[in-house]
Amino acid sequence: MNKPRSVVVTGMGVISAIGRDTHEFARALREGRSGIGYLAQSSAYCPLGYIGAGLSDFCFVPGLRQYSGLPAGLLQRAEQCARRSPLMVQSAVLSSLEAWQQARLYEQPIPTRQMGIVVAGSNLTQRYQYDNRQKFQESPEYLSPWYALHFFDTDHVGTLSEIFSIQGEGFTVGGASASGNTAIIKGFQAIRSGLVEACLVAAPMTDLSPMEMQGFSNLGAMGGKNYYHEPGKACRPFDKDHEGFIYGQSSASLVLESRESAKKREVEVLAEIVGGALVLDGNRLADSTVEGETRAMEEALAQAHLQPGHVDYINTHGTSTPLGDETEIRAIKKVLKNDLERVWLNSTKSLVGHCLSSAGVVEAAAVVIQMREGFVHPNLNLDNPIDGDCRFCGPRAVPAKINLALSNSFGFGGINTSVIFKKPVHQYSIH
Amino acid sequence: MLKEGVFQIVKENIVEVLPYLANKEISIQASLKDLGANSIDRMEIVTMSMERLKVKIPPVELKEVNNLAGLVGLLFEKVNGCA
Repeated sequence: MNKPRSVVVTGMGVISAIGRDTHEFARALREGRSGIGYLAQSSAYCPLGYIGAGLSDFCFVPGLRQYSGLPAGLLQRAEQCARRSPLMVQSAVLSSLEAWQQARLYEQPIPTRQMGIVVAGSNLTQRYQYDNRQKFQESPEYLSPWYALHFFDTDHVGTLSEIFSIQGEGFTVGGASASGNTAIIKGFQAIRSGLVEACLVAAPMTDLSPMEMQGFSNLGAMGGKNYYHEPGKACRPFDKDHEGFIYGQSSASLVLESRESAKKREVEVLAEIVGGALVLDGNRLADSTVEGETRAMEEALAQAHLQPGHVDYINTHGTSTPLGDETEIRAIKKVLKNDLERVWLNSTKSLVGHCLSSAGVVEAAAVVIQMREGFVHPNLNLDNPIDGDCRFCGPRAVPAKINLALSNSFGFGGINTSVIFKKPVHQYSIH
Repeated sequence: MLKEGVFQIVKENIVEVLPYLANKEISIQASLKDLGANSIDRMEIVTMSMERLKVKIPPVELKEVNNLAGLVGLLFEKVNGCA
């Protein structure tokens, strides 16, 4: 059997409440700028609006102008394909264009049939469907015929494949809040096994309708009650006052490819992915388990033949939910043991909220940025940590040498994932 | 509403769906296919026009239509309640 191939990241794109591209996003991470405020959506309990990190000023056609480095034909095709598409499709197209530009796939292409697409998330059109429902009930005849294409999650696959001329494998993957990591893992496996040479991993923003917002709220999973009048303080992962997750809207995309392909194309390697594990608890509920989370991190490390001693940093799932935060800390302690006090921890959700199905890809971008720029970003609102032994980053960014990082995502239904990123070899030094 | 007014609404919807036709002459003898609309765009333009004009045309009647003149004529009849 052939040795599995190395998989590297060569392109990233992010559109978030704290930055409309990776540069702005990186600056906001370093400055610890939160994107959390009031959303336009409100309910009886939230008269000023739900608390969240929204993509409030998102505009697709003007957004295309950011990517002036890309060929005009590609941008025209993107405009033609997605100008009238639902918001989440447009968000995925823009973040993918940025990743495509960084990976220089427009000037150093990979044969179209050797490229694949994995789209992160399922039930991506909740808001779009909800918005169409009233019109449908009044006059079904006026429902747009495009609805029959847009309601499928795979509309993302079709749209991205047409824009970027991708003709290998393409599909969507669902893993609840672990969808982003699940998509990275599937892209990683497809390249590693030789099925494709490269893969666009695209994570559209999660666009919740008022019904999902109310559902999360009725479940008691959503925070923002205690700090309703101070929205910037509502998301507080690992703080004793945490009370539930705060919804965020971000889209992110990665270009993954084999090391040989990146070398042949002479493009910069941003990071290497050396392991990625997805394990189930055997549990349909919203309750996370120490056992499942521990197993995800340990299996990812074992895949890469690494020990806890190699880990410098963990980008936690850290949703600001009491049970979730406590479970993850217990799992991290079990995995790291004596290395606990050396390994940096933070939660990107303290800045961008919980982006649900795109969270894993947004946080992967945050990991690669911190690794490349040598810092750990703040974990906001950590006034009274729930644990005194862990090395949490505080209110300000701290310089840090990160050679190896874990990125955790855990989803409802007992879906546990952990992905391992490594600094590229030419910059790698053994500590 | 005059037939010309109906055609104006249809043209506005065509340009909304196919922006490259903005500021171009659109002949009433042309078909949506000639103008570059794919099958879904064609139905989109018809649906948008029905909605703007607050009329409903059963799909079976649309089958007979093969150019803009036919579409405008059908919409015009529905608007004026004579079909």
